[in-house]
Amino acid sequence: MSESLLEVRDLRVYFGSRERPVRAVDGVSFDMREGETVALVGESGCGKSVTAMALSRLVPEPPGFYAGGEVLYRDQHVLQLDERSLRDIRGNEISYIFQDPGASLNPVFRIGYQIREAIQLHRPDDDAEHEVLELMQMVGMSDPQRAARAYPHELSGGMQQRAMIAMALACRPRVLIADEPTTALDVTIQAQILELLVKLQAELGMAMLLITHNLGLVAGVAHHVNVMYAGRIVESGETVDVLTRPRHPYTAGLLKAVPRLQGGDERLVGLEGTVPNPAGWPEGCRFAPRCPMRQPRCEAEDPPANRIAQGRYSRCHFWEQLNP
Amino acid sequence: MSASMDNLSSDGRTLWGEAWRRLRRNRLAMICLWIVGFYTVLALYGEGVYRWHQWRDITPSYQRANLDKQYLEPSPLRQPFAAERVDSQTGETVVLSGWSRLRSGMSNLLTHPMGTDGLGRDVFQRLVQGTRIAYQVGIITSLIAIPIGVLLGCLAGYFGGRTDDFIVWLYSTFAAIPGLLFILAIAMVVGQGLLGVYLGIGLTMWVGLCRLIRGEVIKHKDRPYVTAAHALGVGHTRIIFRHILPNVFHVVIVTFTLRFPAAIGTEVFLSFLGIGVQGEPSWGIMISNARLRLWHGVWWEMAFVTAAIFFIVLAFNLLGDALRDALDPRLREGGESS
Repeated sequence: MSESLLEVRDLRVYFGSRERPVRAVDGVSFDMREGETVALVGESGCGKSVTAMALSRLVPEPPGFYAGGEVLYRDQHVLQLDERSLRDIRGNEISYIFQDPGASLNPVFRIGYQIREAIQLHRPDDDAEHEVLELMQMVGMSDPQRAARAYPHELSGGMQQRAMIAMALACRPRVLIADEPTTALDVTIQAQILELLVKLQAELGMAMLLITHNLGLVAGVAHHVNVMYAGRIVESGETVDVLTRPRHPYTAGLLKAVPRLQGGDERLVGLEGTVPNPAGWPEGCRFAPRCPMRQPRCEAEDPPANRIAQGRYSRCHFWEQLNP
Repeated sequence: MSASMDNLSSDGRTLWGEAWRRLRRNRLAMICLWIVGFYTVLALYGEGVYRWHQWRDITPSYQRANLDKQYLEPSPLRQPFAAERVDSQTGETVVLSGWSRLRSGMSNLLTHPMGTDGLGRDVFQRLVQGTRIAYQVGIITSLIAIPIGVLLGCLAGYFGGRTDDFIVWLYSTFAAIPGLLFILAIAMVVGQGLLGVYLGIGLTMWVGLCRLIRGEVIKHKDRPYVTAAHALGVGHTRIIFRHILPNVFHVVIVTFTLRFPAAIGTEVFLSFLGIGVQGEPSWGIMISNARLRLWHGVWWEMAFVTAAIFFIVLAFNLLGDALRDALDPRLREGGESS
């Protein structure tokens, strides 16, 4: 459990020209251990998805480029691998589930064919026909025989996402990256899909990176939370710890914005403003313009990743004043 | 009918089946399909006649001059059911009645139904041979143009960058050469005749298809399903030809139905000018011959050939439009959100 399966060190993914890049991901570091669920939380446009794509070098180049840092998967430098070895890792060792299952399935092929392709890409000799149905049962698709013959548009969003999960798990990957897997689904289906992911993750013993903009989703699922803002991880720690005692004003703000059932008549407090434009992050602390506890120092000095405890970091000068 | 349609669950049907069902609901398209089918049968019949004569090593009648029968009018105008007939051997006038009159009338109707030309050759047989040549030109030029257009269009659209620059430069260059000049140049190199026509038309026709495919591939390559395929570890070649191409293949089919009559038209034009087909009755050659005596009242050769071209071009164009509607993925039921 202790050894890292996937290690991200100071990852920088920029877009556009090298002279004036758009710094979408600007120095992100985190680890994932075998069988662990790690969450990456943040608003739209903070660089979550680009981080996820970079883990198996999927960011299209150009316009994107890797400006620095590294991704270590079982001691392999993923960003330095050639196309062939990358293809061996993608889908086989590191798999993805995307936000919009309806658009992520190829509209002209039947579901069964697409799942079979996912299996045979990495295991050409398998008895795929049998395995397709097994996978579909595993992800809880009722009547797999019939669903295998359906085209993507003939299935509901939940079923489409289950098919995507089946494809992602076809080769029993060690790392599953779920990029907002439930955002495009109905609320009732969201819970089902999340539950399914948690169950499968435990069954297959894979590590899961759960990317979401919803802090509330993370609570029962992730062991570790990384909160991202403006291309960086601003706070990181054990889920319970981060959710109950946030040590960064951004996390605190996000938590106030999550609606609660037992919340009584408290008002929901939204965060002022929006994520700044990645083409020109603010000087100093990037959260400063929206921060309720802003000090002159924040605009001058970029806060480092302050270590609070083992595996617990905050990029705020004044973390000690928050939830001491 | 409707009951059996309801029983068919939607998952039993392929996407092509779905498109076919939509096409069948379009009445005009079905008429056009029948017309195209009729022409195809004519072309196949012409091919049979041609092969048979070749195999027997004899000159077919539509090629042989028969000066006794110059400029015969179409059979219905030659009073086929006339009661009197001049016996060809004795020169006597024979009076016919009843069954024999009907029988000779029918056989008169069937000999040279569209009349004969200046050398006494049957216009109908020559028209059938013209259909055969037109189909040959349409099919062979498509076989040349479609692979080039699809391949280059896919590469340009998918890889972009320098590959794209080069391919766009290439097809812009081809498009900039006046078509006729290009075909003339090719005819100079390979000699006059069908080969020059095939190459000339085939090597200019791919440009439009290439441009369309390139645009479609550019649209598709950033779709989530392509990213998802990348994330599964699918290679570039497979993504292009197994994932994207099936999604844009309707463009190929529609272009084919629209280019087919265009190729036929170009062939007619080239043959009319005398740089196309040599020694075989193509539609262009027939029009070129027919114009000589048109003002002397010999209208039938010109009229039938023009009508034949008119209907095939019209049918293919209307069919192409209908196919575009039927195959358009945006119109697919519950279609993807794009």
